[in-house]
Amino acid sequence: MKFGNLIIAGITTGSIYAMFAVCVAVWYRVSNILNLAVGDFAMVGALGVDNLYRVKGLPLPAAIITTLAVVAVFAYLYDQVVLRIAQDGRRPIEGIVVTFFFTFALSFFIDGVAKVLFGTDVHAAPTLWSGPSLTLGSLNFERSGLLVLACALIIGGAFWLYIKFTLGGKALEASGENSVGARIVGIDTRQYRRLIFVGTAVIAAVFGIVESPITGFTYLSGATISLTGFIAAAYGGFRKPGRALVAGLSIGVLEALLGGYVSAEYGDTVLYAILAAAILAWPRALGFESAVSG
Amino acid sequence: MTQLPSADGPAGSPAASVALAVTGLSVAYGNVVAVHDATFTVTEGDACAITGPNGNGKSSILMGVTGMLRRRGQVAIFGAPAKNGDVKWAARHGLTLVPERRQLYPDLTTEDNIILGCYTWTRSIGKARRSDAYGRAIELFPELKPHLKQVAGTLSGGQQQMVAIARGLAANPKILAVDEPCLGLAEAVAKRVYDVLAQIHAAGTTLIVVEEAPRRALTLCNRRVEVRNGIAVDSRGDAVPPGDTPDPDGPYPPRNAA
Repeated sequence: MKFGNLIIAGITTGSIYAMFAVCVAVWYRVSNILNLAVGDFAMVGALGVDNLYRVKGLPLPAAIITTLAVVAVFAYLYDQVVLRIAQDGRRPIEGIVVTFFFTFALSFFIDGVAKVLFGTDVHAAPTLWSGPSLTLGSLNFERSGLLVLACALIIGGAFWLYIKFTLGGKALEASGENSVGARIVGIDTRQYRRLIFVGTAVIAAVFGIVESPITGFTYLSGATISLTGFIAAAYGGFRKPGRALVAGLSIGVLEALLGGYVSAEYGDTVLYAILAAAILAWPRALGFESAVSG
Repeated sequence: MTQLPSADGPAGSPAASVALAVTGLSVAYGNVVAVHDATFTVTEGDACAITGPNGNGKSSILMGVTGMLRRRGQVAIFGAPAKNGDVKWAARHGLTLVPERRQLYPDLTTEDNIILGCYTWTRSIGKARRSDAYGRAIELFPELKPHLKQVAGTLSGGQQQMVAIARGLAANPKILAVDEPCLGLAEAVAKRVYDVLAQIHAAGTTLIVVEEAPRRALTLCNRRVEVRNGIAVDSRGDAVPPGDTPDPDGPYPPRNAA
């Protein structure tokens, strides 16, 4: 059952990509800013919990809650100070390239602080659900992987329910679709920008914590995570969380299959070649033109 | 100048209260002044047309009054002084805008577009669905019924205009300000839009209609504010007969003509 196990592994990593891609896409919809720092919040989640638990000796639940709280407060302050000055003033700074640098700089800042606080070694948050992997027939389920999947399902599902079945969720969509139209019905688009920025920072941190036992993190891991999230989000023109989700899962599965059947060393190379070829073949259908023009 | 009888509705009756009072309103885009010192009032139950050539500041008046743009000068809605730049406040106090070019949410369904009008007064989707305002907004447009689950971006121009008006009604307004409702619509569709506006007016909602073509506006409106080069001239009283305008059939001559 090599194929089945590869699919399971692919869905696990794919769900991680998908969650980061959704975080990028949802926030881009409401703010028109690409969040390059999303992976850094994941890194802070993982290394922060590791540091508080292993080095400072806090109990695990306290370490997790403290880390998430710090991430949330930091994201809130960043929105209140930097984004507020940049976007809510008399002459708001707009354009995908310029606003890119807000979060680019943020990413470097977080990396720098993390290097000082956590050092340069590979660490990981402690495994939350340890034990031998579960088997079903010839299929293997890593416990950490199942935990990642469960988090993805719960968080993704909660978000989907929020969008589909609440007026607040529809208002969130509306402020992404048309900010003028949103203001007309009294939607505070800044409030949603803030809510989603803080929300996605915390979600990223949660994923950092549950994912790190599988991959291990250094202070530089954030950029790689952001990049995979970016690539998947790009397949929805950065504006379609649903497509970003599908793209993230597909990339994960494709990566696992290529690694298993084609070549462990060149799997990634082939993967990116396929992704690039797909963009060249169907730029419009994959949403790349809208990403560039709007 | 002929005085038209003010037979339609409470307009002109001294007992009717002032729905909207605008005093010394100025709106500017950077250094460009779009509206200069506009003063006018709209009485409850009025249907007031704001007319004038393109680019003379009609829409900017509505943007300033509703709070979409920051303004100078005072605006009072049913006597309460309106906060500058606060659209939500205006909507909560009964003034809702149906904007130029409709400003819908193209990837949301028709139903979602309309129900978001309720966001001005509730956060509960259940309350919004059961509300009279939402029910009436849906009832008024039987032609939208088959398209409620369709995304709004795929509707025709006329249907989108109706969605925009329905969204405005879902906000449960006492004053509905409609900006260029017939822009780019075929004559038959424009007529349907005006029929609906007449129904809304007849049901007791005060109307403000920004319209480039004065004749069409004056089929519905009992009074009018004329805007020229950003300066508003209140006609004070009943409708100006179509004969008073340079070209009653529609667009004004260019600003610098004659």
